[in-house]
Order: sequence, then C-alpha cells, then structure tokens
Amino acid sequence: MTYSHTHAAGRRTGTSSRHGGRSAAPVPPQSPARRGPGGRRLLGVLLLVGLLASVLPWWLGTPAGSLRTPAATVTAAGRITGLVAGYLLLVQVLMMSRLPVLERWIGGEHTARWHRDIGATLLVTVLAHMSLILVGYADLRNQSILAEVGTLLGDYEDMVSAFVATGIMVLVGFTSIRAIRRALPYELWHLLHLSSYLILLLGFGHQFTHGAQLYKPGPVRTGWIALYVLVVAAVLWGRVIAPLAFNLRYKLRVADVVAESTDTISIYLTGERLGRLAMLGGQHFRWRFLTRGCWWQSHPFSVSAAANGRWLRITVKVVGTHTADLRDLDPGTRVWAEGPSGTFTAAHRLRERALLIAGGSGITPIRAMLEELPPGAALIYRARTPADVLLSRELDWLAQERDTSLWYVIGSRDDPGPRQLMSPDGLRQLVPDVARRDVYLCGPPGLVEQSVRALRRAGVPRRQIHLATFEL
Amino acid sequence: MRRALLAITGLAASTTALVVFKGSPGATQVAQNLPTAQPVNPTAPGADPSADPAAPGTDPAGEVATPSKTADAPVSPKPGKTTARPSGTKTTTKAPSTPRTTKAPQPTTRRVTGNGFDNEYGYVQVQIVVSGNRIVEAVALSLPSGGESDIHSGDVRDRYDGSGGEVVQKQNANLNTVSGATETSNSYKQSLRSAIEQAF
Repeated sequence: MTYSHTHAAGRRTGTSSRHGGRSAAPVPPQSPARRGPGGRRLLGVLLLVGLLASVLPWWLGTPAGSLRTPAATVTAAGRITGLVAGYLLLVQVLMMSRLPVLERWIGGEHTARWHRDIGATLLVTVLAHMSLILVGYADLRNQSILAEVGTLLGDYEDMVSAFVATGIMVLVGFTSIRAIRRALPYELWHLLHLSSYLILLLGFGHQFTHGAQLYKPGPVRTGWIALYVLVVAAVLWGRVIAPLAFNLRYKLRVADVVAESTDTISIYLTGERLGRLAMLGGQHFRWRFLTRGCWWQSHPFSVSAAANGRWLRITVKVVGTHTADLRDLDPGTRVWAEGPSGTFTAAHRLRERALLIAGGSGITPIRAMLEELPPGAALIYRARTPADVLLSRELDWLAQERDTSLWYVIGSRDDPGPRQLMSPDGLRQLVPDVARRDVYLCGPPGLVEQSVRALRRAGVPRRQIHLATFEL
Repeated sequence: MRRALLAITGLAASTTALVVFKGSPGATQVAQNLPTAQPVNPTAPGADPSADPAAPGTDPAGEVATPSKTADAPVSPKPGKTTARPSGTKTTTKAPSTPRTTKAPQPTTRRVTGNGFDNEYGYVQVQIVVSGNRIVEAVALSLPSGGESDIHSGDVRDRYDGSGGEVVQKQNANLNTVSGATETSNSYKQSLRSAIEQAF
C-alpha cells in the first residue's frame, strides 16, 4: 500500500485551508533558520580547554624531577586523576542541568550521549584516583593498603564523605549499565540517579582540605570554587528557575483528550501567550500532569503539531499505567512542562531536502516537523497494520500542502514488501537522491537500527542521520 | 561507549605521560648540589668516614657524587689529612661556588643542599650553612604549601630553620617532630640528614 503526492506545488504558505476541524494547523510561513553544529563544537572545544586548565595547577606546582620515588610518582598520578575527576564531575552535572543554552547548542539527543560517555570516563577516573592515592600514600607510610584506608578514614577530615560519594558513584554507574537498568523500575532507577547530586556535595570537601593544588587560598582555589558555584547556578537555573518562568508564563492546561486509534490518544493543551512560545516541530517537553495519580511522574513526549500560537498537542501510545491514566485527564488540568528541547528539528538540517522515516507512534515528532521542512521532503511511514497508522488525514493534507512524497509501508518486518523497501537498494529506488538528504528517524529500536544500517550502505553520511532519542 | 573507551585510554596515556615527564631525572638539580658538596671533604676536620661512601642518595645524586669525590681528591677519604690544608688559600678557589657566603668572616663557610623528599603533602628540601664543622644555619628551600600545609610548614620552619633553630642547637638530624606536621618533619629530617652526610 503506497501512496504518493508529487503535485500540489504552489500552495504552501500563509493561505492554509482547514481540514477536518482542529487537526490541521496553519502552516508556518517558512522553515526555521538553520542551527548548525557550531555551538556543539565550540562547547566541545571549551570543555577540552577546561580539562587542560584543570591539570595546569599540578603541572605548574610540581618541580621537574621531583618525582623520584615510585610512591611520589603514583601519588602524582593520583593527583592528576583527582583533578580530572573533579572537573569531569562538574561537566557531567552541567550536562544534566537542562540549561536552555545547552539544550539549544547540544540538544537532548547529544547531551544524553555525552552524559553516558563522560559518566563512564568519570567513574573510571574516580576509581583510578582513589586507587593511585591509596597505593601512593600506603607506600609513603610503609603500611598496607587496607591500613591506609583506615588512616584516611580515621585521621582525615572529609574523607568519609568522599568514600561515600565514590560508593554512590559506583552504584549509579553500575545501575546505568543498560541490561541492569532495564531490569529496574524506572522510578527506582531515577531516584538512584538523582542521588548523584549528593556526589557533588559529598565529594566537595575533601578536594579543598586535602587537594595539594586546592589547599592554598589563591587563584586556583578560587577558580575551582567558582566553577562549583557556576555549575550549581546552572543546575538551579535550568532545573528550577527556567521551568518556573516557563510555566508561570504559559500556564498550560489540558483542553481535551481525543482518541486517535484504539490505543493512542492525543492531548490538546492550551495556555496563555502561546503565540510567543519558541518551539520547533520535533522537539519534546517533559510533561507532568498535576492530578492525584500523575503529578509525581514526568515523562518526555514530543509535540505532534508545530507551534501555532493557539494550542499544543501531544500524541501518546497507551503502553503503561501512566499512559493509561492519561486517558482520564479532565479538561482544565494544570500541566507542568519543561522544555522545549531536542535537536530533532528542521532547523538542524544540513541539506535542502529530507527523508523522514517513522515507525508506529514514532510519527508524532515527524508529523510536527513536516510543517516546517522545506518543500520536497519524502516520508516513509512504517506500520504493522493499517490500524496502527496515526494521524493519516493530517499527513495526507500536509503532504499535499508541503509538496511532500508520502509512502505508507504496511506489514510486518519480515514481509517481502517492507523488507525490500527498507534495504539500501529499495531506499535508493524510492528516493534516488537519498545520499544527499538529511534523514530523520523515529520509531521502535529495531526499525531504527535496521534503517541506519541500510542508509549507511546506501551512502548517507552519518552526520546527515538524525535520531530522536529522549532516553537518558 | 566507544568514545568513552577512547576517552579513558586517552586520559590514562596522558596521565602517564605527564608523570613520566615530570619524573624524568632532574639533572639540573642534582648538578647544582655537586659543586657545593665537593669542597666539603678537604676542610672538614672531624669528618666521619663512614658517612662518605654511604651517602644513601635515593638516586643518581648519590651515584654521581661518590665517584666525583674520589676522583677529585684521593686524599679526602682519610680524615686525618684534612687539617693540613691551609684554609687561607682555599677561600679564593671556593668563592665562585659559594658566592652568597662571602660575607661570612670564616673562610670555610659553605652551603650544602640536601636531597629533596616527597611526602603526600609536597616536596621538602633543606639547605644548611656549614662553617667549619658547625651548622650555623638551616633553610628549608621547599616545604609543602597550601591551606593547612602553610600553617604546618610555618610551624616546621619556626622550629627548625634559622641560625637559632633546633637544627643549629642540636647539630644533627635527631629533631623533635613538630606536632601536626609529622610527615613534613620526617621529610625535613631526611633531607637534613642527607645534607649533613654531604657536608661532613
């Protein structure tokens, strides 16, 4: 079952026709200005410079040739890893601050990847710091490592809390291993992960009471404390002040809950001053519905329509208890939203044209983005059965309005039709210039992996492939 | 994950590189010690022969110093000979190596720098001023610094250093440990001991 539009050029801006009541939004006059990867790269460079700067005090404070004994060498390595770990911890927390400028520069998808990579590095660095210092000090004092642990815990100020911080970090790192994480309930995992703020607090003291480079009042110590203050300020701003300002400003409420299919609902939201809400199609918010059963849970959902100044909409597949509760939301329910975030938008395109591949309920961000992509895009919508196809009337209308080719590909993954189509050759036949397009992918992990493989073999450069991942 | 592995490997490699670079034998520091140590033997009247070859220098310093001493003055190992030297003529030859002590009226005044020692708080190195067979002054060239270390190092300095400190009073390295600064006191004593060994 394929369906294609190639005509309907000309009618694209301003003069929008309504289709089916509220489901079709007026088409924004133009595609959003591009946001290149410049911000992300700049930030990467800044962070690397910071890393070098964090080791600089050690370098300047250690006379050449002073590391004459193995103990001194090991201790020095422990100090370096300590400085690096202290710095990485700050970067790690900063990544999670949801500071609007970071969301804008890096975006949720990349932030999540950075967070994971930095997290693993941080854990290894902290463990290295601890072991090197223990071995070095034990050697200096001529005692066993176990006795050294006792000395550090007993005689050193702030060292107990530092050990506790390390323990929490190991626990958080361990539960973040994907297989283990899946086995845990999300809420428990989330709580554990939130406790990592304690690491910042508990690890703080020992750096200044015992850090050879941070002891002395002076520029290094002041700078290090300033970094802490900045990061805490960023977290406060991104997690508390900015959301507070957002919600006080827009005052979002549930307007209506509509069934899209047997197991999918759309929630319409209204608020104040929505005309000034800067949001791009494809971005997501973290939603907290303030009712008795739901207020304590916050879940990310993409908006399923671009900004139109009057309402927002999310389209949600009912899969768990929380999403089941959402069906019973009363109009007027207050909603606490954090966002918008994400780089899965038309503004992050690198090429003129785009290919969109959606699977099942993964259509929602793509549906919103479709309103903002330049004409000439192509959309492949994979669904298992015709009943799984969502928002098809809007898609048909948008395809016509935005001069977009649209194919519904129905069937199981192993059916010959979808299998042929989702191969490198199939994609090239359908979209001959696929290698010169941005490809936006959203759907179940299996489909995403299969598509990325096929696309790479069809010659699409990696940076042109955009994935929607909210997972953290 | 692949990037995390890369980052970890990179950090490990650069930490090792940094440590190796800083740890590369401080040839310059060792060399500085030699000229001041050399003229010691001929003039020290009551030198202790056992101290000389023993110089347990932790490293190249000891190895370099020992052969140079023997090559320089084959007589020096014998303590009895030292008195024969007319010290008056010696002063002029020694002057270049000890320019800062020229003020002192005694011709045999010289500075000897001990080996440096690390402890967990920092680097400790002691220099003594020897006149004849007496230590007349002790100076810590380097003590741990920063935060509490500043306080403890200050205590150590107050107790040991100077021309009226414990070093000068006792004339040996068996100093009382400064409370609260055990590690630094011990390193100070080690460095002092090596300086005394070089000087006498």
